[in-house]
Amino acid sequence: MDLLTAIQSNLLSPAVLFFVLGVFAAVSKSDLKFPESLYTTLTIYLLTAIGFKGGVAINEAGLGAVWLPALAAMGLGGLIPLWTYPVLRKLGKFSVADAGAIAAHYGSVSAVTFIAATNFLKGIHEPFENYASAFLAVMESPAIIVGVMLGKGVLGGGKFSLSDPGVRHALRDAVLGKGVLLLIGAMVIGSLCGKRGMESVEGFFVTPFQGVLALFLLEMGMVAGRRLGDLKKVGLFLLIFGVTAPLVHGLAGVLLGGWVGLSVGGATLLGVLAASASYIAAPAAVRLSVPEANPTFSLTAALAITFPFNISLGIPLFYEAAKLLHA
Amino acid sequence: MNLHPMKLVTIICEAVLEERVVEVLRESGAHGHTAFDVRGSGRQGERSADLVESGNVQIEVIAKPSVATAVLERLHRELFAAYAMVAYESEVHVMRPDKF
Repeated sequence: MDLLTAIQSNLLSPAVLFFVLGVFAAVSKSDLKFPESLYTTLTIYLLTAIGFKGGVAINEAGLGAVWLPALAAMGLGGLIPLWTYPVLRKLGKFSVADAGAIAAHYGSVSAVTFIAATNFLKGIHEPFENYASAFLAVMESPAIIVGVMLGKGVLGGGKFSLSDPGVRHALRDAVLGKGVLLLIGAMVIGSLCGKRGMESVEGFFVTPFQGVLALFLLEMGMVAGRRLGDLKKVGLFLLIFGVTAPLVHGLAGVLLGGWVGLSVGGATLLGVLAASASYIAAPAAVRLSVPEANPTFSLTAALAITFPFNISLGIPLFYEAAKLLHA
Repeated sequence: MNLHPMKLVTIICEAVLEERVVEVLRESGAHGHTAFDVRGSGRQGERSADLVESGNVQIEVIAKPSVATAVLERLHRELFAAYAMVAYESEVHVMRPDKF
């Protein structure tokens, strides 16, 4: 399969098409609105399902196979802010707080982008390591911590201290936020239950998964669509950054994935994780600890530029890159 | 019926701040609070609440006047400058003053 067919098969998946419908609904100012509790329910379902599946895969593959790529993933997440920060400062002319905030968002990850990528791989029958959801779990927090430290100005003698209640609340959220807790919790349960446990919950956690994802992406389309108006406010640099950063990080992830011995599918997933930007955990933690940062910059870039880019073009691109690398 | 004057402190702020504000209330000597999710707009733009984190929360507490003043002063010192929020106190009358 070449790049164009990969892109085409990705764009014509129910998930991506429902995302487009969501964007259309928001742009056309439709009265369609998901109740907040449904949004939360769908999030809990998706995280629990992939956590559990990942845990079962860890049970089968053994922790020995998982720790090295997971450690690499974690390291990559923590490192991304260290090079995005100077780029944002020097080339983008962002303030210390804004550069740190954006760096935290781009080092951290988006679970839905990851799930869309596993969906894509399933659709083209490309095998991947199911335990890759462990990478998702460990990549969320390190970048937030590094980004917040940068945003607090530690490089210029700024203070990053636990006596600051904002920092304290943010760190607790980042390390033990609901996403990480659900994901790791479900993973532990899955790895304890193994295949037999999977058989008993398959009808709920596996069969309806695609449909739930499509519904969730419809909502995400509306959320992203409502922020398209903010694109005018963030400036040309951030528009370019919102596409270039995922490209660079995605390729770095794919390379690293190949290097630590992941399959083509697994390397694609690590690439997608590195390319994705957080729009739930990072915004909350950054808002609490670096209130001087303007949330419009980081949230618009992550949600209205990088997220749509990744789920439409990024995923098939990183897949092709992973194939090239393995060939 | 015997009614006693008290202060009702109302705080409307970004949802991420809920725990911090509740911490301030507790440390200032308020007993309990009520919180609900709200949406709206203000000087710093719209709070659409389409993501939980971009919503607002309204926190209310009934307290003695001295506690109400302490709460407002701490919010003013620690949070007003950095966040989208409003806080105000109003007169209320309660039947059981020892409850607050």
